[in-house]
Amino acid sequence: MSRLRDVLERLVGASGAERAVISIAALVLSILVGAVIVFVSGLGAACDAGANYHLAIPLPGSFEILLFDGRLSLFGYKSCYDPINVYAKLFVGAIGGLPWESGWQPTNLSMEVLLRRMTLLLFAGLSVAVSFRAGLFNIGTQGQMVWGALVSAVTVLFVADFAPAGLAGTVILLPLALFSGAVAGGIWGAIPGALKAYADANEVITTIMLNFVASFGATLMIKLFFQDPEYSNIGTRRIPVNSLVPSLPMGFQGTRSSILALIFALLFAFIVYFVLWGTSFGFDVRTSGLQPEAATYAGVNAERTIVRSMTISGALGGIAGALWVLLSTGRMLSGGDVAGGSLGFDGITVSVLAGNNPIGVIFGSALFGVLKSGRNAVNFQTDVPPELVEVLPGLIILFVAMPEFFRMIGKRIGLDSGQGSNVRTDGGEDDE
Amino acid sequence: MSGKDRNGTRRMVAGGTLAVIALVSLYGVFFPNSTVGKVFWTAIDQGTIESSLRLAVPIALTAIGGLYAEKSGVINIGLEGLLIISAFVSVLVTDQLGAGQTTGVPPVVTWDLGSRAYTIDPGLQFVIPNIWIGLLSGVVASMLLALLFGVICIRYEADQIIAGLAVWLLALGLAPFVAQVVYGRVSTENVGTLDTWSIPLLSKIPYVGPILFDANPTVIIMLISVPAAWYGLNRTSFGYWVRASGENPKALDTVGINVDRVRYAAVLVSGFFAGIGGTALSLGFQGSFDGGGPTMVDGRGFIAIAAYLFGNYNPFGAFAASYLFSGLQAVQIRLQGQGVAPTEIFLMAPYIVVVIVLVLVGRTRLPEAAGEHYESGED
Repeated sequence: MSRLRDVLERLVGASGAERAVISIAALVLSILVGAVIVFVSGLGAACDAGANYHLAIPLPGSFEILLFDGRLSLFGYKSCYDPINVYAKLFVGAIGGLPWESGWQPTNLSMEVLLRRMTLLLFAGLSVAVSFRAGLFNIGTQGQMVWGALVSAVTVLFVADFAPAGLAGTVILLPLALFSGAVAGGIWGAIPGALKAYADANEVITTIMLNFVASFGATLMIKLFFQDPEYSNIGTRRIPVNSLVPSLPMGFQGTRSSILALIFALLFAFIVYFVLWGTSFGFDVRTSGLQPEAATYAGVNAERTIVRSMTISGALGGIAGALWVLLSTGRMLSGGDVAGGSLGFDGITVSVLAGNNPIGVIFGSALFGVLKSGRNAVNFQTDVPPELVEVLPGLIILFVAMPEFFRMIGKRIGLDSGQGSNVRTDGGEDDE
Repeated sequence: MSGKDRNGTRRMVAGGTLAVIALVSLYGVFFPNSTVGKVFWTAIDQGTIESSLRLAVPIALTAIGGLYAEKSGVINIGLEGLLIISAFVSVLVTDQLGAGQTTGVPPVVTWDLGSRAYTIDPGLQFVIPNIWIGLLSGVVASMLLALLFGVICIRYEADQIIAGLAVWLLALGLAPFVAQVVYGRVSTENVGTLDTWSIPLLSKIPYVGPILFDANPTVIIMLISVPAAWYGLNRTSFGYWVRASGENPKALDTVGINVDRVRYAAVLVSGFFAGIGGTALSLGFQGSFDGGGPTMVDGRGFIAIAAYLFGNYNPFGAFAASYLFSGLQAVQIRLQGQGVAPTEIFLMAPYIVVVIVLVLVGRTRLPEAAGEHYESGED
């Protein structure tokens, strides 16, 4: 188990400030590498004149400070893609344009996508963070989301017939939907937890395998029992409107997003933080993550802690799945379609970027919400394939994975504070 | 730890699995019309064995590569990413060079340097089908990504699990992105598959001949690789270094062997075999790259990890485990149309088997120093 301890010491033991610096540096580097990828792939793409690089600092109104305007070429080859423009469109497009532009409204479609993604990612990220804190690599959040979404949708469909109409129904159905999603996700998370605790089965592999099982299994369940006969694709019936999260207090127009749901998610980030740092259970989780042998010696029941952490992790994933139904589709689609099939994996990136800190997850999910929301702007306003956005998580994790790399750079440019060497040996966290 | 107990358990499980398969087969022989009978007779059908072997190639080769890396002390969770990148690059290069055509050095090569001209006339001309150059490119791409993984883990001491995830996610994002740039969609054109190799005389042997000696080249490569990998690991000094690097790096360092270099080599070996595995999937089997969802690789990299764990780091064992999964898949494809059970049950089956296998085998006895960084005492 010393392997896990090393991992966690490196990931967790680094001081908070250093972690933040590493995360930001990793983010900047991956954006730079992403820009290079865009530029290089632009050399291979076909276009007439090459991209026009328009680099300027925008000012209110239609003014700007012009920095560069023209074309770039490499060995005579012109790139068809302009990385700066792509990132400008990505980040500005994520909130639907610059706020001081005329016609910009806080309830525009891009903001809606951003807030909804952020809400879902918060839960997915928290799910991963809880397990990582316990020294368990839960790669199975995606599968836990699938069952959470299915069970939540099905439960609401069954109960809706007996529930009162209108707001009274919402008060009953909405908590029920979230609760049933959490239970389903929790059970699915407990399985690899129990297999790990009592049969020593490697949780990295089992959770990934269970993702596939969940995806096919949920599709099978829908086909066998819950298919909406009037729906042409695989999917359940629509859940009643009053079971959806109300879009109060801001009224979004298109599909649904809700400030209420986001506040609920933010609340959960603080709850998870409190549970991990303010309760004895949280202490058990963190110590068994940091030093399993010491935790066992101190009387922590290792097996039970593993199963419990995985259950909580799964439950948070299950809530993410339930919220996907409640905010996004209004019905359960086939297992492979749950949140585009990648939200659970984005949760890993969010959590790693956040140093597995629940409060950090808030920022990580905001960033990834921006990426997902800006994806549409990249798609419609540039020639660059929006799949670029899918490359970034891999790059980010890659750079976050090597703190040593940044320490070396830091030393080279004379930023060595002398604390780099003892980060690994203190074994604790900065607040203890 | 109780390594002996674990090995005993594993032997019991392996023996038990064989016994169950034997019993079920016996039942199938006598009751060919039962479901079990149908599965049995389908499983030993010549066509099914052929496709089982073909489906086993990516898993078995990747498993062999993965076990080399893990034996040396580097757990390579990124195998899935290596499969994706090689499957994609091989098709891309084949297509860009011209699918179905050949590339060769012209019979007479002339360098004209202005003042003097050099002429080489080799007398004979090598012409290589582009599909083989594509295969080579795929393998090289996989090895480069493996090298990146190795540098991050060994030079920059990154956590191997996190770095492995990064390799996977990177390939999962990059392949569809480049496909989108080149083809305007996440999948590629069809470039055709490798021609089968037919070995004279041997392919005439009834039943076995067509399966083993009139087969896809990647199948033959696999059949050679399995014993070669076993020999390399157990009978050569490189194999000894690899094992020592995972078990007792300090001792290896003491006798003057550079531990880091051995680990780099082992990681490159994993890139090499996963590279062939990935190209076998695209060029050997399907003829194109499919980048939708989890891509055409679809978790095979992770199944490969389970395969070498089940095979107890033995190339033959890893191959047997891979064949178990692929045979299941082949039978599934055959029986799909017959209404024996819903498609999804068959699709789920290999993944469920992997989980059951992991539970029964329990934790495999990892090499002592797996996942740990080794720092030479010299600094």
